[in-house]
Amino acid sequence: MFKNNNFIQYSIINTLSFLKESVFADEYALKKGFLQSLDPRLKTITFLLFLIQILFIKDIFILLGLYVICLLLAYLSKINLWFFLERTWIFIPLFSLFIAVPAIFSIFTPGKALMSLNILGLKLIITQQGLFGASLFVMRVTTSVSFAVLLSITTKHFELLKVLQIFKIPQIFVMTVGMCYRYIYLFIEIVENTYLAIKSRVGTKIHYKSGQRIIAWNIAFLWQRSYQLNENVYKAMLSRGYLGKPVVLDDFKIKTKDKMWLSLVAIISGLVFYFNNR
Amino acid sequence: MDNLIFELKDVYFSYLGKYPALNGIDIKVKQGEKIAVIGANGSGKSTLLHILDALIFPDKGNIKVFGKELKEENFNNEDFSQNFRKKVGLIFQNPDIQLFCPTVKEDIIFGPLQLGMEKEEIQKRLKDITHLLDIENFLDRSPHHLSIGEKRKVAMASTLIINPDVLILDEPTAGLDPLTARHIVDLLIHLNSEGKTIITSTHDLHIIEEISDTVYVFSQDKKIIKSGPSIEILKDDQLLRDHNLVHIHSHHHKGKIHIHPHIHLDHHTD
Ligand SMILES: Nc1ncnc2c1ncn2[C@@H]1O[C@H](COP(=O)(O)OP(=O)(O)O)[C@@H](O)[C@H]1O
Ligand SMILES: [Mg+2]
Repeated sequence: MFKNNNFIQYSIINTLSFLKESVFADEYALKKGFLQSLDPRLKTITFLLFLIQILFIKDIFILLGLYVICLLLAYLSKINLWFFLERTWIFIPLFSLFIAVPAIFSIFTPGKALMSLNILGLKLIITQQGLFGASLFVMRVTTSVSFAVLLSITTKHFELLKVLQIFKIPQIFVMTVGMCYRYIYLFIEIVENTYLAIKSRVGTKIHYKSGQRIIAWNIAFLWQRSYQLNENVYKAMLSRGYLGKPVVLDDFKIKTKDKMWLSLVAIISGLVFYFNNR
Repeated sequence: MDNLIFELKDVYFSYLGKYPALNGIDIKVKQGEKIAVIGANGSGKSTLLHILDALIFPDKGNIKVFGKELKEENFNNEDFSQNFRKKVGLIFQNPDIQLFCPTVKEDIIFGPLQLGMEKEEIQKRLKDITHLLDIENFLDRSPHHLSIGEKRKVAMASTLIINPDVLILDEPTAGLDPLTARHIVDLLIHLNSEGKTIITSTHDLHIIEEISDTVYVFSQDKKIIKSGPSIEILKDDQLLRDHNLVHIHSHHHKGKIHIHPHIHLDHHTD
């Protein structure tokens, strides 16, 4: 019980740290690669276009082609391919397996039998149509997740926020997202620091009860901190002339590179459309 | 008389009406003066600075700013409010609070944008101020990923870009290495020589002589216990010891144990 508790505690801390590293690190977004240099508005729109197209593709080879393009873009954007594959493939099983695996069997997708399995007297037949459908589905998920991850790791968080703002998403929503981001960061930081502080004082072997008390106290403390933070941040905004309606600088510029990217996307989309409807 | 910037008479303030933070403060600040506010933690320094920046208003007492009485209602008027914000700038004690934008650049230009400055002018000032503080390389970084020294510089830039006549700084050198602290002190001296009024709260007795003509010493009961020229205050060992600004240190020196008051550097930062 005690051991377990410690293990859970440890895993939570690790997960939080991983989250902090992966969500909050702008490491890849700061590299000077191809996608990073594009106008964030155009990049967002073109990636949305890719995502919509992927939904309608019926041919696995077209998807494969797009996936290769995605990996190529990642490469051109100075992203470590291993990192990228790891990041995307973590999500793919989650999205696909549960939906796709049942579909390969004849009960769900009738068709020509490829293989039959006999599990506990239950005869399962894998059908060609079922397998094909499932692979198409997995490929579709893979490609769209890859594009989404690629967009998010090559774009700074504030640029995404700014894109939202420029697309006339209400101010208050954008501000709230920004604030949430701050709170989560602060929260993880406090948890990490507290954990370190406890460890340095009493070692990792905290009694279950006192561990609980420490956590409860910290949550109370966190509420108080975030309340004060909010009040003080508001003061800091007032002090610099904030009157309740933030003014943002729209300094995005469309460059030649962006126009080239737009033409490239148009060509790819044209080809995808042609092959998909052949 | 005409060059008085702040005039506080018997000012009281308490948080939420029950946590007293200032108990009858009298202060006068003349234009171009350098003022230091010193005192232990919780003696009301930050509260005073927030009152001077009109972020909170006294429960009791009277404040005159630029010769006119300061009232909370005045800030309902946008012109009045923006005009005041252009003239008076505050650099907060905790840069994590002052820096609330996703990137350093946005934080620095937040003030000028709210105050309706022209885009070209903002770009020009941004270039100058980041060059002056040597923070050009951080512009696209997120402020909360920076080191404490870098954060303080960014916080300074975000206020200095407004170019206020009166600069209020809440423990600007706390937690900094001596070299960075030195740069900040030099910058303050330079700004003062250009005619800016500088009001600083600090624990750092090393810098007081340079950054102040007049020092106000706050006591634990949130009152001013003494004020006067910085040299005189610094000579008053007993006073400084009584208010937790120095502590007695003993150490070995040539085989003997010496006991003498020791100036605090960063022990008090919260
Ligand atoms: N937001 C707040 N709510 C309640 N009490 C506060 C708040 N801020 C400060 N105080 C209290 O007011 C007093 C003065 O605090 P402060 O002005 O921050 O002192 P200093 O800056 O000298 O450390 C302290 O007793 C402190 O606990
Ligand atoms: Mg303070």
